[in-house]
Amino acid sequence: MKVEVDFGLCESNGVCMDIIPEVFHLGDDDMLSVLQSEVTPETEERVCEAVRQCPRQAISIKE
Amino acid sequence: MTKSKVVFDPFSEEFFNGAWETYRRMQEEAPVYYSEEYDFYALTRHEDVAAGFKDFETYSSAYGIDLAMVRTGHPPPQKAIIFMDPPEHRHMRSLLNKVFTPRAIQSQRQMVTEKIQKYLNAADPDRFDVVQAFSGPFPVEVITTMLGVPEEHAQQVRHWIDESLHREPGQVEVGEKGMQANIQTAMLYYDLVKQRRAEPRDDLFSRLIDAEIERENGEKTKLDDIEIAGFTTLLGGAGAETVTKLVGNAPVVFARNPDQWQKLLDDRGKVPAAVEELLRYEAPSQYQVRRSMKEVHLHGVTIPAGKPVFLINGAANRDPDAWTDPDKFDIDRDRSEAQNLGFGYGIHSCLGAALARMESAIALEKLLDFMPRYEVDWDRCKRVNMQNVAGWQNVPVRVLR
Repeated sequence: MKVEVDFGLCESNGVCMDIIPEVFHLGDDDMLSVLQSEVTPETEERVCEAVRQCPRQAISIKE
Repeated sequence: MTKSKVVFDPFSEEFFNGAWETYRRMQEEAPVYYSEEYDFYALTRHEDVAAGFKDFETYSSAYGIDLAMVRTGHPPPQKAIIFMDPPEHRHMRSLLNKVFTPRAIQSQRQMVTEKIQKYLNAADPDRFDVVQAFSGPFPVEVITTMLGVPEEHAQQVRHWIDESLHREPGQVEVGEKGMQANIQTAMLYYDLVKQRRAEPRDDLFSRLIDAEIERENGEKTKLDDIEIAGFTTLLGGAGAETVTKLVGNAPVVFARNPDQWQKLLDDRGKVPAAVEELLRYEAPSQYQVRRSMKEVHLHGVTIPAGKPVFLINGAANRDPDAWTDPDKFDIDRDRSEAQNLGFGYGIHSCLGAALARMESAIALEKLLDFMPRYEVDWDRCKRVNMQNVAGWQNVPVRVLR
């Protein structure tokens, strides 16, 4: 399973980074990067929470 | 005795005063509510409202976003980002969305603080109408400053917005005065576009004049004067009206929940959480209307294609299936329980959310300094009567010393 971000939707709210900083990072240029795109058992729950909480629905998990 | 059928009238005193009990009954008894009087449908459960905001293919914004517009069955003549579906919406939004990110908005902090402080410095602690002397005037100055509207027009812009949104009970359409206000607003903004074309400045007018947008045929072109005037008018309205309601709600809600005010006095670190809770508890914008683009089957009800559908985020934010004890105002509540739909959700979610949060947090901080102890003159409190936004027109308080 992989994390995907739709950068056309993302508006750098940083909600995902607050939930799981080891996966999502908002750089100084206000651009989001995915540090770890593979979803692991350790990250799954929080990544799913980030998907749910993203106000832009910009994050998804692909099989 | 049979229970009477639940009635939701968005153009009634009951709505203006906060229709919380009606929402609860709709969630329980009519999760897909149908209004025989106005011929619209309404969703109130958190799950349904969130899904509705998400599904722009089924629930279109292209026919307008209030009942008056959507029930005509035609796309509104004025092109505005809130009346667009993808891909057009995405192209328009991308012109400004990087201006309003939480980080980008920090560059406005000092300006916002100055505007807020200016009004508190002028306030009379013995007779302080928190809305008229504070939460009304400062947000419009913030957004018009960002836009590049000269300060002398700011308060006039606010009165025009109020006029445009005002509704008497039973009144669905914009009234004569509201139409006049809309025309005057459009003329002011149109003139400003002309001025900025001649003499660009560091403001959003000039930024939009420079911007190129991708059109339907894939070509990139500049925005025309009417498009820019439309966009800036919208931002001016959205940026003023809503923060006014959120901050205006604060003295009322905290007076009714003094333990929560005390928590803030004891720990200013809780201010951002208080802003989120105010937004959840009484969303300034209570609903958005969409048009069903196909037949929808939900909870045993069929919504035909082509109907106005109210997505009532104000109700969803009080849904007991989403929140523990939703009618309790609790700044310490677990915010991860559900998505706060106060700023909407999905493609049309509030562009200015980060600015609104910052303004509201600074305003609360300053109110804590200005009126740590206060009493509300309840007899003189008055609600607004408006289309989709709910809140107070007057909240007179006296600072206790």
